[in-house]
Amino acid sequence: MKRIWIVIVNVLIMIAMLTFVSIYSNVENKKTINRQIEHFENTTITMEHVTENYLEGEQRICDVWAHYINSEEMTLEEAVSYIRVSHVLANASAHIVYKDTLRGLSTRARKYDQSDFDVSYERMNLLNDVSWIHSIGEFINISRAYTNPVNGEQSIAFCNFITLKDSREAILLRVLPVSELMQKWVFPQEEFESAELSIIDEDGDYIIKGHSFKNSSFFEFYRSYNKLDAASSQEFFNKIVSSTGTFSMLNSKGEECILAYTPFSSTGGWTLLSLMPMDDLIVNTENWLLIGFVSIGLLVLFIFDLTFMLYFNKRLQVSAREAASASKAKTDFLSTMSHDIRTPMNAIIGLTTISEKNLDDKKLIEENLRKISLASNHLLTLINDILDISKVESGKLNFIPQTFSIVETVENLMNLSQPMIKEKNINFSFHISKMEKEYLYADQLRLNQIYINLLSNAIKYTEPGGSVCVDMKEEESPKAGCVRLSYKVSDTGIGMSPEFLANLYQPFSRQTDSRVNSIQGTGLGLAITKQMVDLMNGQIECESEQGKGTTFNVVLDLPIADQQRENMKLDAMDVLIVDDDDILLDTAVDTLESLGLNVEKASGGLEALGMIAHRHESGLEYDIVIVDLKMPEIDGVETIRRIRSEIKSKTPILLISAYEWSDIEEQAKDAGVNGFLSKPLFRSTLYDKISEILGTETQSIEPESDYSDLEGLNILIGEDYDINWEIISTLLSMYGITTERAENGRIAVEKMKNAEKGKYTLIFMDIQMPEMNGLDATRAIRALDDPWASSIPIIAMTSDAFAENVAECLNAGMNGHIAKPVDIKLVIKEIRRIKEERK
Amino acid sequence: MKKLFYVILVILVSVFMFACKKDDKNNDSEVFEPSLNTDTDCSITVVGSYDNFEALEAEFDKFNEFYPNVRLSYLKLDDYNNNLGTVLEGNDKPNIFFTYTWMMGNEKYNSVVSHMEDLSNKDLNLKLDCIRPGLINKDANGKVLMLPVFSRTYGMLINNDLFKKEGLSLPNTWNELLSTCAAFKNKGYDSPMMGYSEKSSSCLMNTIAYPLFVAELAKNPEALSLANNLDPRAGEYMRSALEAVDQIINNNCVDISKCDEIKDNYTKVILRFFEGDVPMMICTADTVSGTKKRESQSEAFTKSPFNYTFAPIPLTNDGGYFIDSPSIQFSINKDCDNLDMTNEFMRFLISSKELNAMASIKPLVTPTIDMPLDSVYAPFGNIPSSRTISPEVLGIKDNLTVQIKVAAFNVGRKDMTIDEAIAMYGSFK
Repeated sequence: MKRIWIVIVNVLIMIAMLTFVSIYSNVENKKTINRQIEHFENTTITMEHVTENYLEGEQRICDVWAHYINSEEMTLEEAVSYIRVSHVLANASAHIVYKDTLRGLSTRARKYDQSDFDVSYERMNLLNDVSWIHSIGEFINISRAYTNPVNGEQSIAFCNFITLKDSREAILLRVLPVSELMQKWVFPQEEFESAELSIIDEDGDYIIKGHSFKNSSFFEFYRSYNKLDAASSQEFFNKIVSSTGTFSMLNSKGEECILAYTPFSSTGGWTLLSLMPMDDLIVNTENWLLIGFVSIGLLVLFIFDLTFMLYFNKRLQVSAREAASASKAKTDFLSTMSHDIRTPMNAIIGLTTISEKNLDDKKLIEENLRKISLASNHLLTLINDILDISKVESGKLNFIPQTFSIVETVENLMNLSQPMIKEKNINFSFHISKMEKEYLYADQLRLNQIYINLLSNAIKYTEPGGSVCVDMKEEESPKAGCVRLSYKVSDTGIGMSPEFLANLYQPFSRQTDSRVNSIQGTGLGLAITKQMVDLMNGQIECESEQGKGTTFNVVLDLPIADQQRENMKLDAMDVLIVDDDDILLDTAVDTLESLGLNVEKASGGLEALGMIAHRHESGLEYDIVIVDLKMPEIDGVETIRRIRSEIKSKTPILLISAYEWSDIEEQAKDAGVNGFLSKPLFRSTLYDKISEILGTETQSIEPESDYSDLEGLNILIGEDYDINWEIISTLLSMYGITTERAENGRIAVEKMKNAEKGKYTLIFMDIQMPEMNGLDATRAIRALDDPWASSIPIIAMTSDAFAENVAECLNAGMNGHIAKPVDIKLVIKEIRRIKEERK
Repeated sequence: MKKLFYVILVILVSVFMFACKKDDKNNDSEVFEPSLNTDTDCSITVVGSYDNFEALEAEFDKFNEFYPNVRLSYLKLDDYNNNLGTVLEGNDKPNIFFTYTWMMGNEKYNSVVSHMEDLSNKDLNLKLDCIRPGLINKDANGKVLMLPVFSRTYGMLINNDLFKKEGLSLPNTWNELLSTCAAFKNKGYDSPMMGYSEKSSSCLMNTIAYPLFVAELAKNPEALSLANNLDPRAGEYMRSALEAVDQIINNNCVDISKCDEIKDNYTKVILRFFEGDVPMMICTADTVSGTKKRESQSEAFTKSPFNYTFAPIPLTNDGGYFIDSPSIQFSINKDCDNLDMTNEFMRFLISSKELNAMASIKPLVTPTIDMPLDSVYAPFGNIPSSRTISPEVLGIKDNLTVQIKVAAFNVGRKDMTIDEAIAMYGSFK
């Protein structure tokens, strides 16, 4: 459905709901208004009853006077005197006028002439027609409001015919000011306090007129401000003066009012009217509040829905794009994989074929095997990277933290990078700064992977003669119990374009450059590195300029291991350190001083020779001299040679180098060097080496090339695949280790059941095997009764290389894990570790 | 001499009107600014002789926009002229009351006059210059005790559609009037002109005679004092007016017997005119003011409405007169409660804007100098200033008006000859 239709449907639903609420509110409002109108009408009827009772009471007084006067045959003066004595109300009066002349006397004198009691109704147009005055007691004979001719007050009069002496017909008027009545004439209900009352006669003329009632006739008033045609007006007005009801009308201000009317039953043709503005009647405005609230609510809901709909649409579009992109990535991935795997495979297969055809050409075979080995290693790296990236992307990459030495890590880093540096003749430097904590607690393997990836990339993308510099420093970490380890790799390589930088961490992204076409890489290294740094909550930053070089900086907060080397202090000795690298010189001086040594420094060989000679002549020899290999003027070997030959100093001398020294080892020893130091110069490295030179600590490390300790070991290998069995058994035999094969787990268990104590040193166990897999076999062996058999070390040797596979192996009772393809050095290391633990 | 006096008079009136009009524009630009506390809570009562006064009630509503808590009401007094004095002395003292020029100098109304506030008092800040000077009365001391809210004039209601229907033109001269009446007579109209004739008050005879008599006095200033003093010698100046009445009757322009069927001088006159068969209905503007409201009350008019206007009766061969005299006037009771607010209301009311608004609603001729006329009164806009006469400017007194009214009534009803009526000048009551 198109977006516009969704909007239209939403708007229509909103309109429908608002219409419903509006109609419902209006209906409810009308009901409320009708109830109030009904209440108003009933109150008007009540007012009519109250008014009528009041009027009746006043009329009765007039009736009593009339009865008495009629019975006593009084003169006009006597009648007036009688009434003057009888009535007590201060503001009431009575007038008696002859019926024929309409002149007579008042009970009260005129204000400005206290002797003047005369009263005349001749011109009042009130008593000219007296048909409305009925016999005594029959009706309430009340006049309209008129101007009292004696005091000028608007008044009403209760009337009766009386007969005076000499049978003169007269009219008795009991006169009350309208103001007197108006004061009592108030609506009892508070909600109708703005209502006003009027009384009209059958012609619509006001008897008593409320303030809001205009004109002299109500009918005139109605016609003035409301539309009414002449034909229906008479019927309408007849209805008002003959029945009870309500209707709405406009007042003189154009306001809508409600008018209630009800006739008096005992006054001929009179009607009580009550008028109130409709606005005062409608007190319930909550419905509008409800409509407003619902409207705003719906609007907010609509906007909210619309926003979210748009948002989700956008998300869907993004997801769709991502899915398309993922699909393309998958295709690209397969294509890349196909290419990247086929390339080394082509080399392996091709070179193997060539070797098979030239078995007699030893040199060719040796060269082919070297190339096959390189291709195999690349293939292995590619597979490892693919596994890593897939683990990272599937969220299955688990870290296995352990205590490790950062010194060893750096040494390892140096060892791995040295061949490439040497091959490409790259100027390499490795600076460390304030590396105080040697042992840290983290996944060393992954940390190595991060550091090696960045360093190998730097070397890989730097042309021969270029330089690569590594700066490692330790800083205070904001996380408790951690150090902040900064690892910065700078190179003067090919650099990266801004476009490439934008997708730097995407898998399979490789900078293409004519200079690096030959560079082999999976294009996964940086992607893995970035993911690992992110998973370790670290930061990785990259600055690069095409043609100028690249700088990567990785910052990680790593926990400090509980185990640290303490008391690395040496006796106070005089040490001279010689290097042209000021940074290294300063760092090394700090480190040496922290070991308790007195350090002097020289920035070149000649300066050092001078200082040593000076000391030598004064008989104050340095206790130890440390000389860098590569220096301008004269290099380290030449400097040492001169120290020995020219100065004849016997001071122990250490040669430091960032490079492998195997090439210059003999030359250096001939020159008189006492030992070698690898850069960077860690505190422990310096401590250990100086102690060794000075004979304070015996070297306990066994020479790597001595494998005599492994001879005679017998290892059971659970391996179903013949080639794998052949490889591992052959490799181990090269170290004097004998092996026995178990083709599956069940056989391995059987062999252990039947083996004599000590027959096998350990077991290498494949996991995926027929009949019984390695895990079940391990569990079965661990369940054996023989304590030796059940406790024999079992190392997994499997292609299942994920962390969960490792954990699975350990949970099954194994003691270690080696991933295929096997690195024989790792295997030997693992055997030695087991052997040490069994001691 | 008479002619010169008349010309000077007209010039003076014109100059005053022009001057006032200029000032009035300035005044109109002024917006009413309340000068008292607008929260003032009080009552103001206006008493008068009108049954209804919707135009004034509309002004109450407007005034309430400035002073919402002031309760204004209009009250009709019974037997107004007789009871006014009593009411002013009583407990319910009105704030404003209707007054008439004839009350001035009348002993019976001395007490009434004594209650009137001097409206020319500069402290009241009333814009008296927006009213035509000829309509403002001053007492012997130069005080303005009453201010006109409407102007009265004399003329006839004309059924324009009837003239069209019969193919007759509206008469502009005396001779045309007589010939038009004859033409209607020939077309079967028993009484081409009608009016109230039963009593002398507001009778058609006076409506014809009074403008002619006033014009005669305007031409003869020496006769004015005689007439005001009810000197029988002034009777002769009524002759032309009475002859006109007599001529109208003798030419059967008016059938008195038909007119006698109209039983009052206001509503019945209007409703009779609305019957639609009367070409010309003689009346005053006070009667015309009730026409609009009664249109809907007349079944005949509702069924067959027609166009009508109020025009001066062409009493001379030069045309008719516009007798510009005050209708009702307002006076402030200086002894009333809330006198400040009463003065404030009067300040609000006495402006071209409000007086014109009232005249428009009533409808009557406004007393303001700019004098916008309702469409019904449009023919009076065509009267040249030379034929506009203000009795107040001339100095005509009320007792004079009684003489011409009764004389004309009697002549018209053939109860007296013209000579008899002239001879009785000064003795009519």
